[in-house]
Amino acid sequence: MDVWSLLLQGFYISISPGNLSACIIGVLIGTLVGVLPGIDTVSTIAMLLPFSYGMDSTTALILFAGIYYGSKYGGSTTSILLNVPGEAASTVTCLDGYPMGQKGRGGAALAVAAIGSFIAGTIGVIGLTLFAPPLAQAALAFGPPEYFALALVGLIVLTKLTGTSILKSGLMAAIGVMLGTVGLDSLSGISRFTFGIGELDRGFDLSILAMGVFGIGEILTVMTQPEDHPEIPRLKIRDLYPNREEWRRSVPAMFRGGIAGFLVGLLPGPAATISSFVSYALEKRCSKNPAEFGHGAIEGVAGPEAANNSAIAATMIPLLSLGLPFCGATAILLSGFMIHGITPGPALITQQPELFWGLIVSMYIGNVLLLIINLPLIGVFVQLLRTPLNILMPLVAVVTLTGAYAVNNSVFDLLWVVLFGILGFFLHRTGFEPAPLIIGMVIGPELERGLVQGLIICNGSIWSLVTRPIAGTILSFGAVVLVYSAGKWLYKAGNAREKIKC
Amino acid sequence: MAEKIMTLAFLAVSAIYLFESYQLTFGTLSAPKSGFLPILTGIAAAMLSLVLIIGQVSCKKLEKRGKADWTKFVFLILGLLFYVVLFNMLGYFATTFILLLYLFKVADSENWLAPLILAAGSSTALYLLFQKFLGVVLP
Repeated sequence: MDVWSLLLQGFYISISPGNLSACIIGVLIGTLVGVLPGIDTVSTIAMLLPFSYGMDSTTALILFAGIYYGSKYGGSTTSILLNVPGEAASTVTCLDGYPMGQKGRGGAALAVAAIGSFIAGTIGVIGLTLFAPPLAQAALAFGPPEYFALALVGLIVLTKLTGTSILKSGLMAAIGVMLGTVGLDSLSGISRFTFGIGELDRGFDLSILAMGVFGIGEILTVMTQPEDHPEIPRLKIRDLYPNREEWRRSVPAMFRGGIAGFLVGLLPGPAATISSFVSYALEKRCSKNPAEFGHGAIEGVAGPEAANNSAIAATMIPLLSLGLPFCGATAILLSGFMIHGITPGPALITQQPELFWGLIVSMYIGNVLLLIINLPLIGVFVQLLRTPLNILMPLVAVVTLTGAYAVNNSVFDLLWVVLFGILGFFLHRTGFEPAPLIIGMVIGPELERGLVQGLIICNGSIWSLVTRPIAGTILSFGAVVLVYSAGKWLYKAGNAREKIKC
Repeated sequence: MAEKIMTLAFLAVSAIYLFESYQLTFGTLSAPKSGFLPILTGIAAAMLSLVLIIGQVSCKKLEKRGKADWTKFVFLILGLLFYVVLFNMLGYFATTFILLLYLFKVADSENWLAPLILAAGSSTALYLLFQKFLGVVLP
């Protein structure tokens, strides 16, 4: 079947009442997550995983994807109105969005952010439609050495791109790989690191780790911090019209941001956040008035907001076509797939086309829904910022705990969720990024399988392992990134007379 | 200080992991066994922790973190652990009601009536949602 027939098939699937409702609910929850500071996408999906148990797998994945890309729309609201980013990818929007708000152009900034997100989100989904199937086709030729190379390079690039220090990210990824080795070894069947505890034979569930580190960890962090009540401005619908000059300047920025975001999204790491910074730098370079940036330049809102939405669609490409999540949010989406017994990867598109194309088309529909929902409802979302956290957080905690129990009907899992929650709280307090931990745990088994099977195929010759055309190319890319970042780090350390970034 | 303690904890975990890894068979390059990747990962984690600790000791720069209410933290953890312990003994509904009431009070609710109503309403709603609609078997 050609791509149009498949898209049409996906359209029929995604407009069924159940799937359309899931899409609407997903994007609404996503927008809320983006609007409410302190609650991020990954923890929300982790906390909502249990609600998908009774759902059809396609419906559940449409819901989670909706939360994922929807959250990038809402993130701009508090950045522009309160100078508080709703989530990390909207941090850069504060730089020009808030000054615009102070000049009385906050409504226009919100509208440009929403329209930019729609345009770039659509660019991203078109890219996903075009590139995911051929990549999955190509991945069918991948053997264990290629998967090992991909997993290793994913971890290397990830440690370079996460916001904290390279050493901390590297350590988190290594601890994640260690967690992934707990339980029965899939290659030899030997029980590893279980300390004689029978329940540990099945290893740690990704969803349990995610619900603990992100869900309970987040709840503990929020509940132990003093609650701030910032003054929330009122906004009228008529404020939401950009003027002719603002349109002229923001439309090219939206397209540039969309393309830049898509390219950044293909790389491992927190793509949405990085893409918004890349786009901001790009807009500043392209602008005739770079001095205006930081004081209310509309391109500084349009570009980054477009970029982070486009990046979201691009991050789905390695997940859907290779089965490898390269950022925290797609790692959680992967756990959503796994709960429903679906393994993303090269075979997904051919073996479950209805799921793949239903999901893709739901993203087109979701982007349109977000534009329709966002502009008129901005006022409502802003009012929701007044939700008292001392009521919200205990409820969310109980939902998360119930969900964790429901994964395997196990009190043992419940205990691990609490323990991982304590870990998540301290990771947050001490500046360790939890995303590499999760990704390390997901990629670890893939890395081990690829390495062990690859070495057996190559008769123990590491040289043969790394000189295979595809594996070699991927590893060369990783080596360049590693050498570049090590050189940059040593140079900076020498200049600052600091041996290690603290 | 907290950062150093955390890194030391990771070093200790890596050391224990490495010790356990050596109980497994490493194998050879042409026939790697179950201890192959764990040993390499354990060494990497231990080295990274060590380098981080050295850096943290020699670095004078202090990162400011937001304040946390540690008393509340301890009470929250105790509440969550008791939930796990009591879960099978008292059943889902009663345990959830107690935990919610406890968390509402720990989260600074001033009176008793509103937390009581909220806890009862929410635990009933959650029980119905998970047990009846989502088909989860709850104790």
